[in-house]
Amino acid sequence: MPSDIGGDIAIQFDNVSKHYSLALQKEATDIKSMLLHLPRFFSNARRPFVALDQVDLRVRRGESLGIIGPNGSGKSTTLRVMSGITPPTSGKVTINGRVSAMLELGSGFHPQITGRENAILNAVLLGLTLREARDVLPQIIEFSELGDFIDQPMRTYSSGMFFRLGFSVAVHVQPEVLLIDEVLAVGDAQFQSKCMDHIHRLRANGVTMVLVTHDMLNLPKFCDRGILIEHGKITDEGKPAEVVHNYLSRVEALLALRPEEQQQLKVAQVAI
Amino acid sequence: MRRSWDLLYLLTFRELKLRYQDTIFGFLWSLIRPLLQGAVMFVVLRKFIRINVEDYHLVLLAGLFPWTWFQTSLLLAVGSFAGNGALIKKVYFPRFVLPLATVLNNGVQYTLSIPVLVILLVIGGYSPNWTWLVGIPYLLVVEAVMIMGIVLLIASLDVYFRDLEHLTDVFVGLIWFYLTPVIYPLSIVPEKYHDWVLLNPMASLIEGWRNLFLHNQLPGADMAPALIFAAGIAALGSFSFSKMQGGFADAL
Repeated sequence: MPSDIGGDIAIQFDNVSKHYSLALQKEATDIKSMLLHLPRFFSNARRPFVALDQVDLRVRRGESLGIIGPNGSGKSTTLRVMSGITPPTSGKVTINGRVSAMLELGSGFHPQITGRENAILNAVLLGLTLREARDVLPQIIEFSELGDFIDQPMRTYSSGMFFRLGFSVAVHVQPEVLLIDEVLAVGDAQFQSKCMDHIHRLRANGVTMVLVTHDMLNLPKFCDRGILIEHGKITDEGKPAEVVHNYLSRVEALLALRPEEQQQLKVAQVAI
Repeated sequence: MRRSWDLLYLLTFRELKLRYQDTIFGFLWSLIRPLLQGAVMFVVLRKFIRINVEDYHLVLLAGLFPWTWFQTSLLLAVGSFAGNGALIKKVYFPRFVLPLATVLNNGVQYTLSIPVLVILLVIGGYSPNWTWLVGIPYLLVVEAVMIMGIVLLIASLDVYFRDLEHLTDVFVGLIWFYLTPVIYPLSIVPEKYHDWVLLNPMASLIEGWRNLFLHNQLPGADMAPALIFAAGIAALGSFSFSKMQGGFADAL
């Protein structure tokens, strides 16, 4: 991807918008009703949906950015546009460095082949060459704590084992930019804390991170900066704890009539 | 670029492995199917309908094996983007490897079936010839390029028009197959139809394979329709793939 941005910027969004067109419910789903409603069928009426609305954003090299916001506000779309999975409708996206996106752990794992074979393929899917994948495989296996299971077909794995291997591969592909979507709660408590340690280590090594989460407690722990996305726009930005606090206060106001939820939010805020 | 090759290699062999895993006959299935199909057609066409062609079983198999690569690849690869939506939406990788791995995997199977054809040729009194060393790789490349071009085009379109999977099945299996000299050689088609039959690029390709194995004849000017079509469809396939691939993640 060509870039004309400074060397200290890892990700830059210039006026980036992403529109989806949602097909309106067509009543015609079989030939008979299609023929009965020809004009409607071919009108192809679609409703535009603005997932990202002229967003400007810069993430510095080595910075760790947390993104919060309600469901459907554009958080995941942001990550998908950053990773290149989907192009923006308009605007310019510039990325410096190798991106690894943890949007889902173990994408592409096939149940019929062994963990070892899946780990290699997954690592290459995520951006390594075959040689690099083979070199890093021993570390992946060790980190996953799968032991002899690594040579068993993955259909024999528990879901915890599945995600442990997925996580191990994702963090061992030596990304310069790591995009994480709600995938940190993996495995048992012990493995989770190991994952957290590893994320901290990657951060210390200067890996740029963008983290989408609903887990408000984690945001200040992992991020240097937080942003709030609502209706496809960045509506707040600043210190992670402040962004979380402002957001939760507003949610609390909305929920003013429901004391039990207020109580929960208070607990969350105290913990921050 | 390096990574695309690695991915293609890994996916090709994963598919090969998956197809034969936990089966008793394993790779033999790749031979059994066309051989069985050939045997049935031999009985019906040669014994019942009494098609008058010398060494008909060899004429038949020399056409049926490369055709099987073509048909199987198209049928399996047409849905390779539409059927991998979960992966395409979650990971960014060079997507063209998905259909191309299917083409290569079937190409490997065809290549491995060539020795069987050679054994049958030797039993039938033919002897291997130096022209094969040049002709086989040449025709393999032409056929691979042709199939890859077609699957890039139809697999990309299939993301938006799922009917293509059915259309491909019907068109390739019921129409293209019979209009191509696969179960009959071009020589028994009346002269006045030759120009029409040869408009079909697969006709010159299948005849090319047949002439190579049965007459030790290197492909020459008669391959022109296949070459032109292969180049054209490869260009069209790559172009339409690159135009459409940006929308895959949104459409799936």
